[in-house]
Order: sequence, then structure tokens, then C-alpha cells
Amino acid sequence: MNDTLQTGASAGTDQGAARPLLDIRDVVKRYGATLAVDHVSFALRPGEIVGFVGPNGAGKSTLLKLVSTYLEPDEGEIELAGHDVVKDPVAARAELGYLAEHNALFDGMRVVRYLEFVGRARGLSGGELAARLDWTIGACALQAVTKKRVHECSKGYRQRIGLAAALIHDPRVIALDEPTHGLDPVQMAAFRDFLRSLAPGRAILFSSHIVGEVCDTCERVVAIHKGRLVADLPVAELARRAKRDGRTLDGELLRLLEPAAAATPNEPRSGGAPR
Amino acid sequence: MSARPLGLVRGAYVIAAREFSAWFDSGVATASTIAALLLANSIFMNEFFLAGRIDMTPFFARLPLLLVLFLPAQSMRLWAEDRRTRTFEVLVTLPLSAGSLVLGKFAAALALYALFLAGTAPIVVMLCVLGSPDLGLVASGYLGALLFGGLLLALGGLLSALSPDQVVAFVLGALLSASLVLSGDERLVAVLDGLFQGVNVGTWIHDSFSALPHYDELVGGVASLAALTYFVGLSALALWLTTVIVRRLRT
Repeated sequence: MNDTLQTGASAGTDQGAARPLLDIRDVVKRYGATLAVDHVSFALRPGEIVGFVGPNGAGKSTLLKLVSTYLEPDEGEIELAGHDVVKDPVAARAELGYLAEHNALFDGMRVVRYLEFVGRARGLSGGELAARLDWTIGACALQAVTKKRVHECSKGYRQRIGLAAALIHDPRVIALDEPTHGLDPVQMAAFRDFLRSLAPGRAILFSSHIVGEVCDTCERVVAIHKGRLVADLPVAELARRAKRDGRTLDGELLRLLEPAAAATPNEPRSGGAPR
Repeated sequence: MSARPLGLVRGAYVIAAREFSAWFDSGVATASTIAALLLANSIFMNEFFLAGRIDMTPFFARLPLLLVLFLPAQSMRLWAEDRRTRTFEVLVTLPLSAGSLVLGKFAAALALYALFLAGTAPIVVMLCVLGSPDLGLVASGYLGALLFGGLLLALGGLLSALSPDQVVAFVLGALLSASLVLSGDERLVAVLDGLFQGVNVGTWIHDSFSALPHYDELVGGVASLAALTYFVGLSALALWLTTVIVRRLRT
């Protein structure tokens, strides 16, 4: 990891004193001979929104699946609010709000029934469940579709239903895989504001391959390429370097990815998560 | 607020409630249950008017042949459907144990089957109106039908977890269910014994593998410990194996 550009929170910034809510330590994941995640380490502390960027197939979704406990790491450790995802996956899942890449939903269910189901499965009941339902439906602007079946909803609504399900239990750690996929520009702007409003007391990791979106939302960016962590730095630093070198943010990120690509020309291609 | 995982039973209840309502969301389950119910009742009525006996023995005797098709059709979707639609990831990332998921899905399937059995209650009512059937025998028959169906659903769920394709899960489930029934048929036992003389393969399979002798005991009013152990034990084994497979599918 010596070649990794690290100036972010995990490298010790103003948030370094707080205990990490999400701690990823030297994690490795292989699919057969393919190394999908290669000794990745970083941490998120309360109040942090971290953008997780990289090209398609870089290993972003695999790492988020590892965080969600859907996959288990071959090496290394992941702690979620102090719970090891391998040793105590049920307790770890209780702390996590997770939106998967493909955002699979139970299509035949009515939206409100689906959210109720997720809330109950996460231990909510009675007035507490009703209050959280009201909050998530309002926060994710789902009022117009609560009585509809999920398969009757548009792509944008489906994404918001997935987000509402991820937030219904008020999790301390939020992991979102391409959360703005399917949202229009207005919805994306609203989403960014919403995510920032959620940040206090929580750790939010969201993946995207659009650098501009990440820079508009986050204070810190973690970049991964071919399964390797290639950068972990504040967005302000990325922007400063881009301005200094006369590049766009995308151009600056591409420059960060180049050494990693050049260092591993003969290794098997890192892939995304299995379907 | 977030750290409050449910226990095994409460988690299973939440899953069962969702799965049970999902059967009716699809509409296919409703249609197939009604079709199976009409078939079961018509088979009984045919036997009843031919034999003219005030008992349900002919109904319970024919029931396994119907169930070897009906129950695998019900269980084939238990896991294969979630894997196809990727909702498997939703389920296994909820703060529930694999045991809760398996138990919940099984309970929902068993509840739907119990609803099917409840749909045959008009037969009992009709028999009571026409005469005095042995209600103990009827109750024992229903217990046998429930345990037999539970075993087929548990085995079908296991095959559904093993196969990502529902059709494959159905075919394998129907074959396994049919072999559990047919291996108890005296004619088949005689044929197999005749084919492998001296080894008595047919008798060995009948005594050690077949569900039919145990089912016949219960339908005949004998709730033996051997029969109960067979159905409950094999069902529990199938559910445990499903739990192991669901855990492995996740990793």
C-alpha cells in the first residue's frame, strides 16, 4: 500500500480521534484466480461521507458486498460499529443500511408493505415502526407510490424505495452502491442534500464512477482500481491538484489510476461481484 | 436504534408472513391451490360414490399421488425465485440468521399447504351429515397428510436452494417425492425383489427409505413413534441442510 495516496481521514485528520464506524483492514477477496479486492484498508468515522470511486469492474461492488456481509473476505477484517462482519454478521447487519448495486426489490409487494417488512425484519414494531415509516416515506419522497406495487414504480422511484429500505432502521453505517443510478438531475441534487443531512453521527460510504457527483457530495474520496486502493484523500485536495495541473476532476482521478494500471499489466483482470 | 436483531422464531415469523402474502401476490399459488383442491375433492367424490363408505381412507390413500406434483410446484420457488430476482441478497443482508430465513420460508409453505388441507373440510362435514365417521381416524389421517406434506416441502426447499432454476427444482422435487411414494408400493417392491433375487432391494428400500409405510400407519390411525420420528427427523434434516446451503450461497 506504499504507492497509495493517503491523506484522508484514515490517514489521520480532524476526525481521527473518533472510533471508526466502518473499519476495513487489509481485505482480500478472490473469485477463483481473479483478485477482486487486493489488500484494501480504510476507515470511516462518524460524520464522514466518503465517495468510493473507480472504473467499472474495479472492485467497488465487491467491497460493498463484503461490507454488507453478503460476501465474506478471504483475508483481512471488516468491523461495522465494532462488530466483525464474519464473526458476528447478524449484529453487523443490524448497524448497516445497504443499497445493493442492482437494487433488487420484491416486485409483487406494495411499497408500504415492503418497507414495513424490512422494518419488522430489522426489529421495529408498533409506534416506532410507524414513525420510521412516516419519516422514510417523507424523506425519500415516496408519498405518491406507497399504495402501488413495486413493479409499477419507475426506475427513480425504485431507487428511492431501495434507499428508504436501507434507512428505515436509522442505521449508523450506510453503504450505497451507485445510489443515484436512475435519478434525474433534480433528484440527484436533492439526494446529495439529503445524504449530507444524514451525515451527523453516521458513516456513509457510497460508490459511483462519476467523480463530479462524488466531489459535490463528499468531503473525502477513496479510489480503487483493479482491486487496489489507489487514493484516499480529501475532495478539496483532489480539487486543488486538478486546478494546479489544469485538469478536470475526472482527469485528476484518471491520473491517480494510471500508476495502478501500469503496475499490474500481467495480472488477471479484477472483476465485479458475481451475479 | 439500529442494533436490535430478532431471535430465531421472531425472525422466522417475519419472513413467513412476507412469504405467505407473496404466494397470493403472484396469483399463481391461489390458482394452483384451488386446482389441487378441486382435484382432491373430485377424486374423493368419485371414490365415495363408488364405494359408498363413510370414511376418508380412499381420500388419504390417493392424496400422496396428487402431492408429488402439487408440493414440488409450490416449493420450487422458495429459494430459486429469490436467486433469479436477486432478492436473495436482500434477505441474507437482513439482520436475521440463516435459520430464521429457512424456517420462515418453510413455515409459509406449510401454512399454504395447511390451507389446502383445510379446503377439504367440506368432505368431513358431508360425512358427518351422512353418517358417523371415525373422527379419530380422520384426525390421524390429517396428521399424516400434514407430516407427509411437510417432508415434501422441506425436501423441495432444499432442492430449490441447490438449484438456481425453478424448473430443475420442480423436476428433481417431483422425482424425489414420487420415489418416496412409489418405493412403498407393494407391486413395485415385488418387482424390485424379483429383479435382484436374494438381495431383496425392493423390501430394503420399502423398509428404510419409503415414506408410504409411515404415512399409511398414520392414515390407518396408528400414530407410531417410528412414523413421527421419520417425518419430523427427515424434515428437520432437510431444513438443516438448507440452512447450510443458504449460508454457503452467501459466502
